[in-house]
Amino acid sequence: MQRLIVLITTLMLAACSNPRQEVTVQLANQVLLPAHQQWQSRNAALLDSTRAWCSGDQPLASLEQAFHQTQSAWSRLQPLMVGPLSEGNRSWQVQFWPDKRNMVARQTEDLLNEFADLTQLQLEGASVVVQGLTAFEYVLFDEQAALSDNRGRYCPLLTGIARHQLALSNEVLALWQQPDGMLETLTSFPNGRYANADEALGGILRVQVTGVDTLKKKLGTPMGRLNSGVPQPYQAEAWRSRHSTENLLAALEGAQAVWERVRSLVGDAKLVGDIDAAYKSVRDKLAALPAPLMNMVQDKANQPQLQSLYADLDALENLQQTDLARHLGIQIGFNANDGD
Amino acid sequence: MLSRVSTGGLLLASLLLSACSDEPAATPAPSYDEARARLVINHYADLALAAYSDALSEARELRGQIDALLAQPNEQTLAAARQAWRDARVPYMQTEVFRFGNAVVDEWEGQVNAWPLDEGLIDYVDDNYQAVMGNPGARANIIASQSLKIGEQQLDLSELNADLLASLNELGGSEVNVATGYHAIEFLLWGQDLNGTDAGAGERPATDFAIGDNATGGHNDRRRDYLTVVTDLLIRDLEAMVAEWQPGQDNYRAELAADSVENGLRKMLFGMGSLSLGELAGERMKVALAAHSPEDEHDCFSDNTHFSHFYNAKGIENVYLGEYQRVNGDTLSGPSLSDLVAASEPQLDEALKADLDASEAALQALVDSAASGVHFDQLIAPGNAEGAAIVNGAIDALVEQTTRIEKAALVLDIQALNPDTANHSF
Repeated sequence: MQRLIVLITTLMLAACSNPRQEVTVQLANQVLLPAHQQWQSRNAALLDSTRAWCSGDQPLASLEQAFHQTQSAWSRLQPLMVGPLSEGNRSWQVQFWPDKRNMVARQTEDLLNEFADLTQLQLEGASVVVQGLTAFEYVLFDEQAALSDNRGRYCPLLTGIARHQLALSNEVLALWQQPDGMLETLTSFPNGRYANADEALGGILRVQVTGVDTLKKKLGTPMGRLNSGVPQPYQAEAWRSRHSTENLLAALEGAQAVWERVRSLVGDAKLVGDIDAAYKSVRDKLAALPAPLMNMVQDKANQPQLQSLYADLDALENLQQTDLARHLGIQIGFNANDGD
Repeated sequence: MLSRVSTGGLLLASLLLSACSDEPAATPAPSYDEARARLVINHYADLALAAYSDALSEARELRGQIDALLAQPNEQTLAAARQAWRDARVPYMQTEVFRFGNAVVDEWEGQVNAWPLDEGLIDYVDDNYQAVMGNPGARANIIASQSLKIGEQQLDLSELNADLLASLNELGGSEVNVATGYHAIEFLLWGQDLNGTDAGAGERPATDFAIGDNATGGHNDRRRDYLTVVTDLLIRDLEAMVAEWQPGQDNYRAELAADSVENGLRKMLFGMGSLSLGELAGERMKVALAAHSPEDEHDCFSDNTHFSHFYNAKGIENVYLGEYQRVNGDTLSGPSLSDLVAASEPQLDEALKADLDASEAALQALVDSAASGVHFDQLIAPGNAEGAAIVNGAIDALVEQTTRIEKAALVLDIQALNPDTANHSF
């Protein structure tokens, strides 16, 4: 019986080209891997900028710009981080959010009080809270840190974080590109992770849908959706750098890049139209926000605009998680946000 | 009925066929016997009824020990009350698998088991207390206050009763303002754990409940009232949940029975997977470990977290196997998800059972560590590689188990797992 199945399978594979496999391979080569490479190169640029500012060769504005670009590459990558970066606690080493109890300020200051001249080894042994972009943002933008007056105190940490981020992205890229690495896993079947392209495509869609769900969380939490509608401005992602909206736009772009490839697999023109329209609507409404999210949520007059954006994100999530998954016959499975 | 191998073959063939066409795959007939599945869902409700009933009777025991503590506040009566709280958690933590998927539980749960909390809302706290940024109730200290001003609102706190405490939950819109439930009681019995990631739990003295010369803490009349009222409210809430699961009544159980079999199975599986991955592995372990943050420990005052996690996982296993060991030692067993999965994919059923066993063993390691004096908040300390390995072992086992739960769902023809969105535009 088993042999018969194998025979049938082989015959059937030969009998048709497999558009799903083609799309999966395209996604891996043309969307997912390049997004990881972009993130890695932004990290390299951040390290250069940090060193330059710390040695007095660049203005602070250049370092801030480099930080925004790194944050943006990371945001775009989140709906695309299939495999290594979503495993273990790697993604938390990049960003710690939400940070309700302001752990980042406390742990950063405690660490620097303990180690006046912080070494890389000491940073590697510390918590993820101080190793990533959230701590970098705190040092760069929080008035409490007063960075310009305290270059000597904070430069070892900033340089250490940038170095840690670059090393992490190098490690993740290696895990993608090595023999039997993630790229091969998404392009050559069967393998230890995926029996076929359908499973791999399901894996990509799950991460993408989780990414959209996380977008809802990043918008809904500061709006107060978990807190009886009372705004929580300090729970906005990137509230210190006032770049929450830019980050949300970058993440949406990453999610949409997956959809752009998957679209060809969908025979239902209405569904295609609905998803295209949902992306456009969310993007337009995000781009139209006139002020940083942490300011927006604090003014009641902005509620309708934010609610309408949230509703559109919710609709987009449902279209993909339910209608698209059902149309493709793919199970999306559990994501880490279920249970919140 | 089709044999397993031929069903598998058909499934494979239909997947491949769908790969050749743009048309969505036709929905196949369910792979399980519908009448049998109804029995499984009914037994699931029996399990919920038994577990909530046990949680209720243990909460009443706890109330009795609290009476004894208040009658004679000393270290023995305080220890007995603390033990009663720990005992009460055993059945309750096994009910949490019913929370996700059944909205009636999830909406009720906030008043019963909300966590983490800014405990300064309730009673005195240490100077180094870390509250959530922007929480206006973080240092309200209800026990020490006759009134409270939040924004424009002036609240009268003079009479501590159940309705007042319930109304103070999420005060000022902050989810960490938790005035009621197991963790409020835990804080009153133990006090803050000021040991960080070092050994030791909360050390509230029994004299915080004393009246007269040896009294400590201040406002002891109100602390005593608070403890009594909040425990009574817990009992009232558990009574309400037991009533939702009684057979033959106009309640949630009747709704569940009237709903489709598919939705019933979906709720069971969604509860298992959500608790396993997002809640237990994620919120309750990974956050605390990655940030080395004892404030993100589940039972942070009592250091009973190891048992809370262990019995959470036990609850997941209970639902799959259709089994529950009652507090009195009796075992309830009956038709199960395991039976349904085994009928078409016995190997998958075996694999999932092995995963559940592996998770139990991995969580037992947390329990064993605590028994040897190293509790969860020490395992997550910076630089404790051995501790991190134990916690990561539990996280990994739960993640693995969740993947297998998804496969079991597929065998039962359930692709969309979230009951909140599963019926959207179908």
